[in-house]
Amino acid sequence: MKRNIFAVFGLCAALATTPLSAGEITHEAGTTDVPDDVQRIVVLEFSFIDALASVGVAPVGIADDNKRDRVIPAYTDIIGDEWISVGTRKTPSLEVIASLAPDLIIADKTRHSAAYDTLSEIAPTIVLDSLGGDYHDSVAQMAVIGEAIGKKDEMDARITQHKATMDAYVSQLKPLSEGLSAQFGVTNATGLWLHAPVSYNGSLLEMFGFDSTMKPADGDVYEKVYVPTTLEQLSEVNPDILIFGAYANPSQVDSWKGETLFEDLTAVKSEKVFNVTAHNWSRLRGMLAAEMTAADIVEIMKQ
Amino acid sequence: MALRGQSSSVPLKISIVCLTLAISCGTLFSLATGGRTDVGLADIFRPEGMARTVLFDIRMPRTCAAALLGVNLGMAGLVLQAITRNPLASPAILGINQGAALGLALGVVLPNTIDLPLDLYALTGALTAGVVTFAISGGFGGKIDSLRLVLGGVAVGAFSYAMVRFTYTLDDDIARSVIRWTVGDITDIRWSETKRLAVWAVPGFLASLVMAQRFNLMALGQASARGLGADPRITLLLGTIVAAALAGASVTVAGPIAFAGLIVPHLAKFLFGGDHRVLTPTTALLGAALMLFADGLSKTLTAPIEAPIGVVAALMGAPWFLWHTIFARDVS
Repeated sequence: MKRNIFAVFGLCAALATTPLSAGEITHEAGTTDVPDDVQRIVVLEFSFIDALASVGVAPVGIADDNKRDRVIPAYTDIIGDEWISVGTRKTPSLEVIASLAPDLIIADKTRHSAAYDTLSEIAPTIVLDSLGGDYHDSVAQMAVIGEAIGKKDEMDARITQHKATMDAYVSQLKPLSEGLSAQFGVTNATGLWLHAPVSYNGSLLEMFGFDSTMKPADGDVYEKVYVPTTLEQLSEVNPDILIFGAYANPSQVDSWKGETLFEDLTAVKSEKVFNVTAHNWSRLRGMLAAEMTAADIVEIMKQ
Repeated sequence: MALRGQSSSVPLKISIVCLTLAISCGTLFSLATGGRTDVGLADIFRPEGMARTVLFDIRMPRTCAAALLGVNLGMAGLVLQAITRNPLASPAILGINQGAALGLALGVVLPNTIDLPLDLYALTGALTAGVVTFAISGGFGGKIDSLRLVLGGVAVGAFSYAMVRFTYTLDDDIARSVIRWTVGDITDIRWSETKRLAVWAVPGFLASLVMAQRFNLMALGQASARGLGADPRITLLLGTIVAAALAGASVTVAGPIAFAGLIVPHLAKFLFGGDHRVLTPTTALLGAALMLFADGLSKTLTAPIEAPIGVVAALMGAPWFLWHTIFARDVS
C-alpha cells in the first residue's frame, strides 16, 4: 500500500516536472511534440519574428544576421530588443542557441533542414518553408506557429484581421493593375535576381492583379524562386512596371542605365521603374511584411 | 634541332582545318545563343531595332570577351608549362586566380574600408599572390626553382581560396556577390571590359611570340638553355610576369576560370607539335575557340538560367585533366 502511495506521488512529481505537450505539430521535417506554454523561443528567419510579433510574443533568440537593425522597428515596438543574436540565418550558432535553453526552435526548410536533427537535440524544432514558400504559404505558416506556441485563437484572429486588410488592398489595387504586368527583383553590385511568380513577392503581385511576363519561351513557369537575370533576359521579360530593391549603390541595374537595351524597356520608357527597400521586400515575409509591401504598391500605383 | 621528335602526328592540313572549324563554329554558337530566344544570327543584318541592339551591344562584346579570355588563359598556360617544364602547370599554379578571388571577396566584404573599384581589389589580390609565389620560389634571390614555384603557388592558392570560402557563410547578398565574382562569369560583359582584355592580350601575345625560341630552349633543360645563350632565370622571370599579367587581367574581368589554361596548350601541342613559334599563335586561337564553345554552352546548358562560363570550362577541362593525369607517359 505504502509502495502504491509512493508510486502515485512519483507519477505526480514526474508530471509536474515534465512539460505538458501542446500536441503534435506537423511541419516540413515531420512531426514534433511541442510542450505547452512555450516561453523561450528561438527563430531562425525574419518571417517567424513577424508571426510572433503578430500575437505579442518576444523570442529569446533571433538569427538576425548579426545586425540588430535588420529587425525593423515595426517588430521591435512589439517584441522589444532583449533578444540574443544567434548569428546569421544561413549559419546560426548552435552553441548560442543551446545556451539560450529554448523550449522551441523555428527553423527554415531551405536553410536549416540539414541541421534539423542537431536542432532537435537542443529543443523541439519545427521547420517551415519561409525562404522558398509564397505569400499564401507564409500565412499558413503563421497558423502553424500560432498552434505551436499555444496561441492558436489569437493567431487565428490576427490572420482573419490580416486577410481583411489584404482584401481591402486587393479591392483597391485590382482596378489599377488590370492589364498591367509588374516584376520585382533585387540587385546588388554584381547582378539582378528576379523574384519569380512562384516566389513570395511574385505571388503577392499576382494577388493584387498584376500579370507576370516572366515566362520562358516554352511556356513553363520558372521553377527557381530567385532567378539570376541578365539585361538581355530582362528585355525579354519587359514588364510594364519594374520594382527594384537595391542592396548596393551603385547596383548592377544602375550600371545598365544609359544602355540602349535598358532605356528601351517599356517600364523605363514610361518611367515606371520604382525603388523599394530591398530588406523589407526581400528578406521580410509574413503578415506585417505583406501589409507593408501592399502599402508600397499602393504608393507606386499613385505615381 | 631542338624540336626534332616533337612534331605532331596529325597532318598539318587537318590541324588547320580543325582549328578553322573550331573558331568559326565557336563564334557562331556564342553569337547565336543568349537570354532572348527570339534573337538569332539573322538579326545581324537588321538596320536597327531591339534584336540588333541585343546582338551588337550584348552578344558581340561577350563573344569577343570569351575569345580574348581564351587567348589570355591559353597563352598564360602555355608560358607556365614552358618555364616550369611541367605539363600540368596552369595559371592557377601561381595562385593568381585564387589571389584575385580573395581580393574580390575582401572588396565585397569590406566595401567601406577602402573605397576602390572591385577590379582593383582583384588586381591587387592577383599581383600579391603572384609576388608571394614568386618570392617562395626564390625569384627575388635570382634563382627560381620550378618545383618551389609550383608548391608555392599551390600553398598560396589554397590559403586564398580557404579565405574566399569563409565569405560564403556570411550574408546572402555578400555570398551571392562573392560567388558571382569567383565562379568565372561573363554575363554582363560590355565593350569596355572587352577592350580591357584586348589591351592585355595583344602585348601578352607579342611578348610570348618574342620569347618563343627561349621557351623552346627551356624544353631542353636549364643547363642546355644556359649553354645555348638563353639564361633560364631571365626566361623564368619574364615568363612569370607575362603569365601573371595575362591571367590577372582575365580574372579582373571574368573571375577565375580553371582548366582553360591547362588543356589548351596540350590540344595545341597535339595538333601542331612542340615548337613554341607555332604553338604561340595556335594556342591563342585554340584558347579562343574553347572559350567560345564554353560561352555558348553556358547560355544553353541550363537555360533559361545561365551557367557561369567558369563552371562550363571546368566541366570541359576536368575530364582532360583526369585523362592526362592517369594516362600521360610523363607528368613529372
